[in-house]
Amino acid sequence: MMTLKARRTLSAYLMLLPTLVLLGAFTLYPIVESFVISFFRWDMISPHKQFVGFQNYVQIFQDPLFHRAVVNTLMFVVLYVPIVMALGLAVALLLNAKIRLRGLFRTAIFLPYVTSIAATGILWQWIFNDQFGLLNVLLRQIGIRGPDWLNTPQDTMICLVTLSVWQSLGYVSVLFLAGLQNISREYYEAARVDGAHGWDLFRHVTWPLLSPTTFFVLLMSTIEAFKVFLPVYVLYGATDGPNDSGLTMLYYMFTEGFSDYRMGYASASAYILFVIILACTLLQMTLQRRVHYES
Amino acid sequence: MRKAFIYFALLVVTVFVLGPFIWMLSTSLKPSGEVLTATPTLWPHPVEWSNYAAAWKSAPFARYFLNSLFISGVETLFDLTLGAMAAYAFARIEFAGKRPLFLALLATLMVPGELLLIPNYITIAKLHWMSTYQGIIVPWLVSVFTIFLMRQFFLSMPGEIFEAAELDGLNPVRTLFQIVMPLTKPVWITAGLIKFIGSWNSFLWVVVVSNSQSLDTVPVGLMNFTSDVGTEYNQLMAAATFCMVPLAIVFLIGQRYFIEGIARSGIR
Repeated sequence: MMTLKARRTLSAYLMLLPTLVLLGAFTLYPIVESFVISFFRWDMISPHKQFVGFQNYVQIFQDPLFHRAVVNTLMFVVLYVPIVMALGLAVALLLNAKIRLRGLFRTAIFLPYVTSIAATGILWQWIFNDQFGLLNVLLRQIGIRGPDWLNTPQDTMICLVTLSVWQSLGYVSVLFLAGLQNISREYYEAARVDGAHGWDLFRHVTWPLLSPTTFFVLLMSTIEAFKVFLPVYVLYGATDGPNDSGLTMLYYMFTEGFSDYRMGYASASAYILFVIILACTLLQMTLQRRVHYES
Repeated sequence: MRKAFIYFALLVVTVFVLGPFIWMLSTSLKPSGEVLTATPTLWPHPVEWSNYAAAWKSAPFARYFLNSLFISGVETLFDLTLGAMAAYAFARIEFAGKRPLFLALLATLMVPGELLLIPNYITIAKLHWMSTYQGIIVPWLVSVFTIFLMRQFFLSMPGEIFEAAELDGLNPVRTLFQIVMPLTKPVWITAGLIKFIGSWNSFLWVVVVSNSQSLDTVPVGLMNFTSDVGTEYNQLMAAATFCMVPLAIVFLIGQRYFIEGIARSGIR
């Protein structure tokens, strides 16, 4: 006769079994596996994997294309994160006001986020079209001859950031809006009694009390930005843009892995990206602990 | 005055967000001669509905839709069933090893999915699952997000329900599906919608793991269609439109559940 505790443990593990097996096989094992292969040279076809120690990592750090990828990725992060956060917060503040049709606005702004990037990529290709695209047509109306956006390396980041901000704005706004609605009305009333209004109210009540949400959004969008790949892939028709101007770290990994089949080398580059993302996560968590406001 | 400013600002944002979609619709209905002009019209003359038929016939889109429906449907079904069982165990059963297991689960959230791309590709190749449905589907049958969302919900339910069920001699699986599920419909809808839409739009994995057109999903098929059609923008926009509309409708019907589910993931 099993004890109650043993019976509960058994049934819990039975319920968890499929999940644990699947996560083990397709999430936990791969984390270990890709770390191991990052020390080998392997093309997937030959049965033999050649151990090369740190050579893949050394080669990656010496590859000018990888430097290019790091610079491009950092540029994207530095442009995308502040813009999407500022706009997202602004939209959330607008939506948080006592207005009619709030639900309708919220839904409309959210729509790009649930639309496949394959469709929006084609759409923005057309918008960025040199002669007949919407953007240059509108610019011409105000007397500006717009550039050939998608074929000018200097404009690649502008295109990528625009597409990404447009696609994620609704998501970021909704996260901020939830954070704003979580702030109790009492704080505002108390601050108003003390004579605060407008900008002061935002600076001394909203901003500090919103900080957990802000940190969460900052973390999420930074991670997303470091992993940028699909906007490049769809906007430039499965290439990395003119003169590698859209080559990001993930794009680098993708090419090494799935065009050249250098699995060890690609895994090493994936791990470098992983370590960067992990470092960002830990850094932001430490910062958040320090800048913690009691609510 | 202040209200007017808010409405105006929101209108500007909405135009920025929806403008591209309107441009897409407008282009999709234009005759070829009207697409590439320096002074484009917003309203097409005449309205060329045949662009849609032409685009639909240029690639096996019906097949793409069936594939997407099947793949996303299976993934969602498994994700909900397995995720709810895991969530129930974590929320409502005291068992040995619960804490370390839960922490391990939490840790997987820190791992970017892209890191898994290469090793999972190798696994699928070893299983001889390249260019098969199981190769596309099986790695994504459970998502940790669903487990967290449901666990949160189950935790907030009053304990008496579970005690009564245990006294009645119901095992946890029956308690979950016969008693808990009918009481927690919103969270199932939320989790199901988020999984379904995410799975429908997922793109990279299918590109990587399949090179058979007969397995292509809507986004992958649309991307391939683009490289075939080139610069026939009216047909391209027609295809982009009919590819996004079904999912947009699903989203609009369930938007309250969907958006609130996303919003909750940010509150901690």
